[in-house]
Amino acid sequence: MRFWGMFRFTIGETIRRGVLIFYFCVATCFLIFFSLGVGQSAENPGVITIFGSEFAHESMPGLNVAEFMLIQLHSSSVFWIVLFGIFGVAGLIPNMLEKGTIDLFLSKPLTRTELLLARSLGAATGIAVNLVYFFAGIWLIFGLKAGVWHWGFLSSVIYVVYAFACLFSIVAVAGLFTRSAGFSILIAFSFVLISWLLELRESLLFLISDNPVYHWILDAFYYITPQFNAMLSNSSRVIGSNPLSLSPPQFTFMPYIYSFFSASLLYGLALWYFSRRDY
Amino acid sequence: MEAIQTADLTKHYRTGLLNKKNINALEKVSLSVEQGSIFGLLGPNGAGKTTFVKLLLSIAFPTSGTASVLGYPIGQRALKEQCGYLPESHKYPGFLTATDTLIFFGRLNGLPETALKDKAKYLLELVGLKDWADVKTKKFSKGMLQRLGLAQALVNDPKLLFLDEPTDGVDPVGRKEIRDILVNLKNAGTTIFLNSHLLSEIEMICDNVAILKKGCVVRTGSIADLTTQKLIYNIQLSAQIPEDTKVNLSHKHFSLEFKDTNLAATLNDKSELNSIIDTLRADGIGIEGVTQQKMSLEDYFIQLMKEENRQ
Ligand SMILES: Nc1ncnc2c1ncn2[C@@H]1O[C@H](COP(=O)(O)OP(=O)(O)OP(=O)(O)O)[C@@H](O)[C@H]1O
Ligand SMILES: [Mg+2]
Repeated sequence: MRFWGMFRFTIGETIRRGVLIFYFCVATCFLIFFSLGVGQSAENPGVITIFGSEFAHESMPGLNVAEFMLIQLHSSSVFWIVLFGIFGVAGLIPNMLEKGTIDLFLSKPLTRTELLLARSLGAATGIAVNLVYFFAGIWLIFGLKAGVWHWGFLSSVIYVVYAFACLFSIVAVAGLFTRSAGFSILIAFSFVLISWLLELRESLLFLISDNPVYHWILDAFYYITPQFNAMLSNSSRVIGSNPLSLSPPQFTFMPYIYSFFSASLLYGLALWYFSRRDY
Repeated sequence: MEAIQTADLTKHYRTGLLNKKNINALEKVSLSVEQGSIFGLLGPNGAGKTTFVKLLLSIAFPTSGTASVLGYPIGQRALKEQCGYLPESHKYPGFLTATDTLIFFGRLNGLPETALKDKAKYLLELVGLKDWADVKTKKFSKGMLQRLGLAQALVNDPKLLFLDEPTDGVDPVGRKEIRDILVNLKNAGTTIFLNSHLLSEIEMICDNVAILKKGCVVRTGSIADLTTQKLIYNIQLSAQIPEDTKVNLSHKHFSLEFKDTNLAATLNDKSELNSIIDTLRADGIGIEGVTQQKMSLEDYFIQLMKEENRQ
């Protein structure tokens, strides 16, 4: 009851933030664009049309056009979603810690653990609502207008939301320690960048030096921090393998499992710090 | 049972990342507050009044000492369920209306969903915000937010109400309304713990007070006890007092004020008055009249702070 009260409030707060309202408008424009553009050929049922012209690849007869489009759509929209998502949720913890707000919240019969968890879960759900709006919209458009009901595309949302919940552990720790939305955003973006670099460590960072200690440190860092980038790229593989690459990487659960532990550790750190601070 | 009982409650804040500084916000504070009374905690800025309440509600943690509230040791959920708190600075999510704000805080208190709407309506009427029930709180003035804050503190029908500067920013009529609400609550059995600088208000409604200075309790007692401890007399004289007599009197009593043919004396008991009169008469000064003046809490407070500073 108390927990859900705070949870519901946080979702409301996420949805009403300016950035996410902007996201909502942009997403709506895209949905309108797709609902006008995507269709099914009248002569050849099952063939997708884009603004009336049939979309088929003569050079690749076996290509699943709809799936190909969905994969492209997914991987290109995820970047923007990350951008909006971080801006949308980074302020949640610092806002809660403001003088006058935290006094009120802590005076209520809600433990600090419940408070922080409700906040984090609310943030993830707020993002989920925004993601589902866009993804389910696209899914419906492809289903209703082109007859393609691609469940893999719809389920990929779950993986993106999960990745976000893990990223929020960083935002929560940053917010608790710095108490500033600006710093939290900065730290979250730095982390996304670092996670991307660590993902490429074998083909990029390892080239800088052959020192095994250096390699070991990078490896260690890769495994103890949430593998945000790996989780996002894996999420598009749920839809199908990209037909354009010759040896497409297969979907793997590993980054989700590793990140579960590292995010838990970060949430643990956040809870420990939050539960003993004076406000 | 006492509503609040503390023993040697101490709080030292540590601030600064590099050069650590210790701020002694509270120093061995032992207080007890009777159930069903209105208790006022007074003291200059930075005395530790807010800190005291924060410790009781686990918003900050004590360095040492113990405290219990409504029979529960601090930190327990059951304690917070039965308390209401209006912090000195309080912010409400601007995107909620007054009604939704109260519903939200009602939920945080664990109230049943069905009761929330009626409760919000009742409380907004009580604090005089009936016409603003459906307006977003970002459009509220300071005094209106203060009224909303009081409603928020009352949402769970608390047995013990902590109010930190409840009438700050409220207009005179509103202040009277708030005082009436508090007195009604007291009559219904609620214990009220009040932090305030407005001594005239404290004097009107509090049963007992404690005075804090630099984290230490310097006085406790009922208002009557404190304000009748000292007597103020105005003595009208037939002529101006010669300098010699002034010096004579000042040796014995330091809290005298001379003004033309008037002498104002703040004394500890009646015998001092007689000795002053004896001295005046012996020097041949006629006395036209003596009036006793009631000491206000403010007079007492200022006097006490002067004495404390002198020490
Ligand atoms: N979070 C904190 N961190 C460090 N020091 C603090 C903190 N909160 C309060 N203090 C210090 O503790 C002392 C007591 O502060 P407190 O807010 O309790 O005073 P107060 O009696 O409520 O004053 P006022 O009348 O101005 O409201 C002050 O010296 C203040 O600087
Ligand atoms: Mg204060």
